[in-house]
Amino acid sequence: MSTRAEAEMPFYFGPDRALFGLFHASGTLARKAVLLCPPLGQDQIRCHRLYRQLAQALVAEGMAVLRFDYYGTGDSAGDSVEVDWERCVADTAVAAGELRTRAGVDRVFAFGARLGGSMALASATQARFAGVVAWDPVLDGQPYVAQLDAMQSALCADGQRFMVPRKPADVAAQWLGFAISARLRQQIADLHIDRPPTTTLLIDSLSSDAPRHLNGFEVDAAMIKSLQPLTPWDDLRRLEVAVLSHPLIQAVTHHVREAA
Amino acid sequence: MQEQAFRFGRARHLVGVAGLPASPAQDVVGVIVLNAGLVHRIGPFRLHVEMTRRLNAQGYPTLRFDLSTIGDSASSGESQTRKQQICADVADAMQLLSEQAACKRFVLIGLCSGSQSAHMVACSDAKVAGAVFLDGYAYRTLGYRLRYYVPRLLDARRWMRVFSRNRKANQGGSSEPTFTVAPLPQTVVRADFAGMLDRGIKLCLIYSGGISQYFNHARQFRECFGRVMAHPDVSTSFLKEADHTYILTGDRNRLLDGIERWLSHNFSVASGTSS
Repeated sequence: MSTRAEAEMPFYFGPDRALFGLFHASGTLARKAVLLCPPLGQDQIRCHRLYRQLAQALVAEGMAVLRFDYYGTGDSAGDSVEVDWERCVADTAVAAGELRTRAGVDRVFAFGARLGGSMALASATQARFAGVVAWDPVLDGQPYVAQLDAMQSALCADGQRFMVPRKPADVAAQWLGFAISARLRQQIADLHIDRPPTTTLLIDSLSSDAPRHLNGFEVDAAMIKSLQPLTPWDDLRRLEVAVLSHPLIQAVTHHVREAA
Repeated sequence: MQEQAFRFGRARHLVGVAGLPASPAQDVVGVIVLNAGLVHRIGPFRLHVEMTRRLNAQGYPTLRFDLSTIGDSASSGESQTRKQQICADVADAMQLLSEQAACKRFVLIGLCSGSQSAHMVACSDAKVAGAVFLDGYAYRTLGYRLRYYVPRLLDARRWMRVFSRNRKANQGGSSEPTFTVAPLPQTVVRADFAGMLDRGIKLCLIYSGGISQYFNHARQFRECFGRVMAHPDVSTSFLKEADHTYILTGDRNRLLDGIERWLSHNFSVASGTSS
């Protein structure tokens, strides 16, 4: 039996035990803990391995970590179409509380990729995060929604994927494999984050042609870190390819370890 | 029904989520869903979550879990071949469902490499009562080649493209990874199917249009595997419109409808045993 594996416990928590979590206990008495906020949709599946690797790297630094799924995502209760931004924010706060209880520490940092980064920033006050690391967060929802719509439309004629072209009706009300409600669509379109609510490190690996709105994001330039290689988040041909990045794991681990 | 998360297995190295009906019927089969490639237990686009919850609602106990070293599962630390590991991991999964829901026999469901894993276990484990192979083993047959090449040979526009300057551009992206199942020899798979049927295992093969590089018609089941496909305990279907990982919700629902129908026909919850 692997001791490390044994220290990673899957469980359900929160109201009605609806949320799935995987707690990575620290081998020693943890002084800090990190909540890993997943992105939504296919990005969550693509990042699963990276989140696990990051959790293990943080544990090796003496920190306790909780990975979890929002309601309607991953192994949590609820259908994909029930994903709701406000519920996700509330779930993040519940998860932060669960992590504090399990780790026995009050000082909790948050990490998130794409919409997971947006979620960490949006819930920072409610969840009392000591700091946030956001990797290519979506700071302005409108162009992100337009990008997802364009990719979803392109699916119809994707000859690599389909033997016969699909009708627009076949791909309607979905984003890249997941049913979405009109409410979630509007919530994400309305998303606009321009002021970090807590100490924030923003890790940027978006390609030069991706919609980015860092200029309006009021964060100290010293707290923006560029990462190479760039991450192909929006490439339809790589939709089912895992996103992995050792430089990202090193950057996050270093930042949280050094955080006062 | 509430799902429960488990760390289990001979080295407590496996992670899975079981859906356990409140009062499972006597002798009901347990349904175990295997990893599709390297995607963790929720499946491509959450396919396995939707699948197991629908089957739970019908009264089947289910388990979706990660095989050794995939998803959240660790290595068992044993020195084993991948085949030995998979068989041992699935045996651990069966043990868990037998403890939690008193299941004695099981149906395995796998997509792509998951189908290979299910095939491997179904060949050797007496507790397997049924298997659903999604985009499993298939071979380019003469029929496949005729269906593939003849329309292309007769397509004048295609010939124009071949000779146009855009030829190179049209081939862009071919270096991207493609979905493939490394095949066992066709004669071996055919014999495996015959052996499974001799042992009373019921088989369901559902293939999608997403594997058109080697499978393109419902007739190809028979072309690949011969008379064994006409056995009453074999069900086949070809979902030509769907892609390999069922990215569209409508396609996913049609797939799940098919699996649910096949299960209720062959392993009704009321009678518990195969019908």
